[in-house]
Amino acid sequence: MKSPWRLGAVGFLFLTMFGILTLQLWRVQVVPAEGVDYAAEALRNQIDWVYTPAPRGQIVDNAGRQLAGTRPALAAVVDGSLVPESAVEELVSLLAAFTGLPADEVEEIVSDARDRGDRREILADLPSEKVVYLAEHREEFVGVSVIPVPQRTYPYSNLASGVLGYIGRPDRVDIEEGAKPTDIVGKAGLEAQYDSELQGTEGQIKFRVDALGSVLEVMGEEFPEPGNTLILELDIELQGVLENALREGLDLARTEYNEDGCEPGSEDDGNEDKGCPVRAVGLVLNVNDGGVLAMGSVPNFDPSIFVAGLDQASFDALPEGALINFAVTGQYAPASTFKALTYVMAMEEGIAPEGADSVEDEILCAGRLARAELGDGSQQVFQNWTRQDDGFQDIHDALMRSCNTYFWEVTWALWDQYKGTEQESLLQDWARDVGFGEKTSIDLPTERKGLVPDRELFETWAADRDPRLDPSRLEFASPWFGGDLFQAAVGQGSMLSTPVQLATAYATVVNGGTVWQPRLVDEIRTEDGELVTENPPTVLNVVENLSASTVRALRNDLSRVVNDPRGTAHSAFVDFGDNLDQVGGKTGTAEIIKRREDADGNVTQEAVNTALFVGVAPIDDPEWVVVVIIERGGSGGGVAAPTAKPILQYLLDQPVTAVSLGEEAD
Amino acid sequence: MVLTARRTEPVTLLQRERALRPDLGLILAYLALSGLGLVMIYSASAPRLLAEGRSPTEAVRRQLLFVLIGIGAFIIASLVEHRALRRLTPLAYFISLATLIAVLVINDGSVKRWINIGRYQFQPSEMAKIAVILALAAILARSLDKTLRWQEMAQAVILVLVPAALIFRQPDLGTMLVFAFVAVVMVFSAGTTWRQFAFMGIAAVIASVSLFQVGAIKEYQISRITAFLDPSADLADTGYNLAQSKIAIGSGGLFGRGLFQGQQTNLSFVPEQSTDFIFTAIGEQLGFIGATVVIGLFAVITWRLLVAAANGRDRFSQLVAIGVAAMLVFHAFVNIGMTVRLTPVTGLPLPFLSAGGTAYVAMSVAIGLGHSVWMRRSPVPVDADL
Repeated sequence: MKSPWRLGAVGFLFLTMFGILTLQLWRVQVVPAEGVDYAAEALRNQIDWVYTPAPRGQIVDNAGRQLAGTRPALAAVVDGSLVPESAVEELVSLLAAFTGLPADEVEEIVSDARDRGDRREILADLPSEKVVYLAEHREEFVGVSVIPVPQRTYPYSNLASGVLGYIGRPDRVDIEEGAKPTDIVGKAGLEAQYDSELQGTEGQIKFRVDALGSVLEVMGEEFPEPGNTLILELDIELQGVLENALREGLDLARTEYNEDGCEPGSEDDGNEDKGCPVRAVGLVLNVNDGGVLAMGSVPNFDPSIFVAGLDQASFDALPEGALINFAVTGQYAPASTFKALTYVMAMEEGIAPEGADSVEDEILCAGRLARAELGDGSQQVFQNWTRQDDGFQDIHDALMRSCNTYFWEVTWALWDQYKGTEQESLLQDWARDVGFGEKTSIDLPTERKGLVPDRELFETWAADRDPRLDPSRLEFASPWFGGDLFQAAVGQGSMLSTPVQLATAYATVVNGGTVWQPRLVDEIRTEDGELVTENPPTVLNVVENLSASTVRALRNDLSRVVNDPRGTAHSAFVDFGDNLDQVGGKTGTAEIIKRREDADGNVTQEAVNTALFVGVAPIDDPEWVVVVIIERGGSGGGVAAPTAKPILQYLLDQPVTAVSLGEEAD
Repeated sequence: MVLTARRTEPVTLLQRERALRPDLGLILAYLALSGLGLVMIYSASAPRLLAEGRSPTEAVRRQLLFVLIGIGAFIIASLVEHRALRRLTPLAYFISLATLIAVLVINDGSVKRWINIGRYQFQPSEMAKIAVILALAAILARSLDKTLRWQEMAQAVILVLVPAALIFRQPDLGTMLVFAFVAVVMVFSAGTTWRQFAFMGIAAVIASVSLFQVGAIKEYQISRITAFLDPSADLADTGYNLAQSKIAIGSGGLFGRGLFQGQQTNLSFVPEQSTDFIFTAIGEQLGFIGATVVIGLFAVITWRLLVAAANGRDRFSQLVAIGVAAMLVFHAFVNIGMTVRLTPVTGLPLPFLSAGGTAYVAMSVAIGLGHSVWMRRSPVPVDADL
């Protein structure tokens, strides 16, 4: 070598290069930077998993008929972790063409799936030709696969929809509680109430993937466990009878209001027809265990429209309140149906009407009653629904004829005797004992608790300046007047009850005093039929001081409401058939004064009547309570009782006949 | 004289005997790397092949064939006599140019690097590397002075630029860089003045800037370099290779996950794992220790080649050995450096370890030529022996 130093320099350069490599390897392998865990990162890299949705549990009626089920279906999903950035644009345009969805919507789904590295559904319930198309074009649809996603089915469409509820994507609250945005959750009704039972456990497929996302090996699969089956007390056949009757009754009431029928419209959009009957609500309750045999309100909806997702137009097309189960959410003045409670109170507490020594004594059922001692001192006039005197009646006749005056005289005696004492609220105590004013804890969401007014409540309202209290009352020492008790005694004024409360109260007074918690689900079983949870009848309260004789008397008088030619519901049941003597009931007509102020400040008042009927059968040994309420439908005797008729016919094995209007009667 | 002659004879025989003795260190390091290469290729390819329903030994059997051919080529190259080699150099150089032109003519895709021969692909640029080393050595050996003349400098630059231009058309940035590095090292060793060196440097800068200006450098080549600077910015595409490879090597730690236990490399998270990214499999499975051993084996070969150069019988032989050493070091440095984000992704294989026929055989021929320099080294000074 002519210049050994040059060779030495080259050798040194080479040595340096090897040295740098070794140093860098030391840095990467032995002392990686703070917080960098290459080993953990390597592990994350290669294990991927996807969730397989569990079939939602079934809901079946008391005879095992499927009300909600699932059927196998295929859905196209995009797995975000398998879509490289470079493929997004083409994939989005392909999917937009494939699904018919707008491109920006598809892009949102794809980018969300990529962000979360998880699957998102693109198209549910694929028809077979789309499945074939995807299989043939697998290469082009990067990251798209077809997986089984069971679809919810509701074989009876609208029937019992208020009870069943519906499903949908989770909202913010659901997600905070742990739902994934891709999940399906119950949004209303039993679907919501028993969501955790119905959900089942989703399956998980864990596999190792390579860098291209190709599955190399399935490491394990946990199969999805189907949700549990809810077995209801409900009888879908009876439900059909109930809903038919409600629909007929509602139509009839509408025709009665306007020959060509009417549309109630909505208060919000300004085209409300205030007189048009809005809806019909009903339920059938087992008197002796609280089982709900049928329940619903019409108009309702077909829950299956929510399965694939509902667009705004279809949602807007739903009638006002169609999604709400008014049997638990609706609050109504019980009106004269409440007289049964006043009746029981008077009998048990021995409070005879003013002018009589005993409830068995007859007094005149006057057309009107005037008292000055009931309010601010001025004369107050109360009118019976008959407007005219209705003859001399004892408490039994008074219930049959629904005589307001009689019960007012009882209330007067109570007020006169106990005003300002603890016994002042004897009536309310009875009402609370049988379930009014508190939720019944039925296994449905959105139950409301009604309202039982008394002095305490009004004083609280006064302290809180509650808008429900007339501001003029604030001037008085106490805002609670005797007139308020008068109103309460006939189920009006501030008194409110849900239909299910009303049914529960009637069941209690006719069964001898046991308040059964109303319940829809009888038991919960696994998909294989193994018992998971029993939902046995639960006693909420036992009304100890309800005597057998009073119960007997009440049953008899309820029967006379229907069977006696002077009974308020008699005309509604003329074509009932046999066994009419086993039917009892009570009519009610809630008078709602709609106060309206127009743009010029003119106040108009309009009375709208909501029709109620509570039926009990068989009256000798009651098994069922039937409640029918037709909101703004007219009178209890004229509309509600005829609507309850086919339901009671069905229950008592009579041929079901069409609803026809009865004689107008409270 | 008689005495001298008498005394000289046996010494010369002894020297001849010694001169033909192979360099065991170089051979063992070469064989060790080749053997490890086979093991790692199996480890890196078997799961993928199995997953595709093919024989897990498919890739390794193919490579074994190349290794056997390569060892044969190594032996032949070791035995080549340098005067004959020097005579053959112009022929080798022009044949190389012809194949580089042929590869451009035959292929019509955007990347034209291979000539298909039956089931195998021949990569002319691998052989061109050797031809360029020989040609450079031949040109530079003409100078009898300690320093290089401008004329030889110019000839050397032209000699490199012609095949480099052809390879640029393929395009193969890595091989061009090999040419540049080898040329610089050889020209330096041959005795450039600092002025010549500076001139070469300035010329190189002007050339690369103008290549960028006319847009002759492809977009992906730029993106490879930008990805090298920040691989996390573009995880899904170019940078992905780098990030995954670094994760793989990093997860190896000091002792590695154990042979065949590479989760990253076995699942092809690291792309081209049996070829360009074979070192990630070594790093992941054999850890820092294994990786250092591999670098050490390369260092041993390099050291033996430089020792051979120091003992070279003539200037041509010396320069060939230096050129081969430079080529080997550069391949190893760029390839390993790429897996630990020290150098950009250029597509240079890791000598003796990466799967691939032409590269293996070419590199075997190259170190064979270097080995032959050792086998025919200058006799040790007679005086010392006496």
